[in-house]
Amino acid sequence: MSVITYSKAINQALAEEMERDENVILYGQDVAVWGGIFKVTEGLRDRFGPERVFDSPISENVMVGAGVGAAMMGLRPVVELQFADFIFTAGDEVFLKAGMWRFMHGGAYKVPLVIRAPSGGSGFGPEHSACPEAFIMHAPGLLCAVPSTPADAKGLLKEAIRLDNPVVYFEHKLLYAMRGEVPDGEYTTPFGKAVVRREGDALTIVAWQDMLRRTLAAANRLSKDGIEVEVIDPRTLNPFDRETIIESVKKTGACMVVEEAYRTLGVGAEIGALLLEHALPYLDKPFKRLAIPDVPLPTSQHLVNFIVPSEEDIYKAVKELVA
Amino acid sequence: MNPKLMLDIFKTSLLARRFEARVIQMAMAGELPGSLHAGAGQEVCQIAAITAMNKDDYILYGHRGVAYMIARGTSLTAILADIAGKEGATSRGKGGVMHVVDVPHGILGESGTLGGGFVISVGVGMALKRRYPGRVVTYFFGDGTSNRGTFHESLNWAAVQKLPCIYFCENNGYAVSVPTSTSTAVPDISARAAGYGVPGVVVDGNDAAAVYEVMQKAVERARAGHGPTLIEAKVTRLFGHYIADQQTYRPDAATVIATKDPLPKLQQTLVNAGVLNDTLLAQLEADAQRQIEEAVATVKAAPLLAPETALQDLYA
Repeated sequence: MSVITYSKAINQALAEEMERDENVILYGQDVAVWGGIFKVTEGLRDRFGPERVFDSPISENVMVGAGVGAAMMGLRPVVELQFADFIFTAGDEVFLKAGMWRFMHGGAYKVPLVIRAPSGGSGFGPEHSACPEAFIMHAPGLLCAVPSTPADAKGLLKEAIRLDNPVVYFEHKLLYAMRGEVPDGEYTTPFGKAVVRREGDALTIVAWQDMLRRTLAAANRLSKDGIEVEVIDPRTLNPFDRETIIESVKKTGACMVVEEAYRTLGVGAEIGALLLEHALPYLDKPFKRLAIPDVPLPTSQHLVNFIVPSEEDIYKAVKELVA
Repeated sequence: MNPKLMLDIFKTSLLARRFEARVIQMAMAGELPGSLHAGAGQEVCQIAAITAMNKDDYILYGHRGVAYMIARGTSLTAILADIAGKEGATSRGKGGVMHVVDVPHGILGESGTLGGGFVISVGVGMALKRRYPGRVVTYFFGDGTSNRGTFHESLNWAAVQKLPCIYFCENNGYAVSVPTSTSTAVPDISARAAGYGVPGVVVDGNDAAAVYEVMQKAVERARAGHGPTLIEAKVTRLFGHYIADQQTYRPDAATVIATKDPLPKLQQTLVNAGVLNDTLLAQLEADAQRQIEEAVATVKAAPLLAPETALQDLYA
């Protein structure tokens, strides 16, 4: 085991996969010479050359669309959208091309494309701060990864690059500096397998990325009050490990989802529906969502703090729910 | 131009024209879904351009007609099965005739959203440059489609990276019902090439030999690693945007059909050149008829795609 940052874990995953497979290419705005605005791709151009790591024009539609075209023809492109919000700039290419082009053409080719999408954070304003993973989870054809630790950031990205289907890989901007243990040597993290980050019997909480970090901090405080919550990190949203959540709820009898995204029809809504369909007899408390009220993210920090679930919000919500 | 090549272009155009007429006839009779956008009038241009490419090159196409696929070698049976939603359909009922795909013949498909093929072509160009140097990809699109933002993003990208892409605009003067003069600030789409530092060429799309020549130059340039060319062929859409389109917006429609059809023109050129006569023409017509009726019979006998096909092919 070695301890590295989430950002370094992504960089290592890219380097290892580029080393392993010459068909892996990497491009996006500022990713090559400058190493990316978040410095995640530093050193890769020097190591793999400008044919495989290059700066693209500010042309999100082509960035993603060309990724689909190149993937159809046997390359394994990794495209960095500078901010996850730009998924909507490239909406046709993300949802209709990456998601549907293979289906629409009867499975004539594979589309092994990875779209890296830095999400979340604060102070970046309404068009640079969102966590739009629910949109991706809703769309057919797109796999979706939401790594929460350096180990998963590396393992899920390596797996994403090797998969023959398009993956939207969300890397949370507030986690880039997070440090954590990463296994030495070769490994990948499978899609569709949630992990229980903390065991408990009072309540099941589903959270990922920065909301997971806040949830685990709240869980420590709750533990001191004698409340043990079970915390599930789904790791990927498509495929989505429904079983682990259902099994946990059978044990705890209650569920809360903490989500850094709009409340209405978010991932939490899907989990609520899932429990209604498959676990209603086991629920002895109302299902609960903590999410952003349905407004865009402002720029000023104190306004952001008012609407994004905090450790304190999570702590209080659990206390109310299990009281 | 080589008369043998010209005759090949004529032969394929004739087949495409007759096949499309049969499809329209079957659609009007309720035997097929009527979703076809007729390509009549533009097939000579499309086929001449494709003839200037190699068999291992690639195309992405627009939605007007099926001549592209016929020229590349896709069977009439497969195309008809796509229209009918029968077993043997290339897109397995997911895309229909708009999304005929045939990778072994270099046909990579079509975008449902107009101009979606621009961005795909850039990626195909990137892959060809790295994996199959010397091969090219051509994207066929219409004048209306050239107003999409994807046109700008893609031509710029393909030009700055010198990708082996050819952008072939079939300007038929109409974006569905809207005349080019209403929708487009410049009379020639090819003038936009200047903004990307690539050659922009206008050609009479009703002149097969001229189309072949400009396409040949563009293909050579792309193969040599010098990057894209924007070709604009002025073509004639003989019919409406789709089969049942009454073209109330187009008062001259009847005159256009009578005077601007490139197929009789090509036929006359070949007769004048001494490579086509009445006997050969009758034989070509009979060959076309036979191929079409064989395909019709095969597809009529084929089963509908299983409903469960709707759940397949999303993920690899």
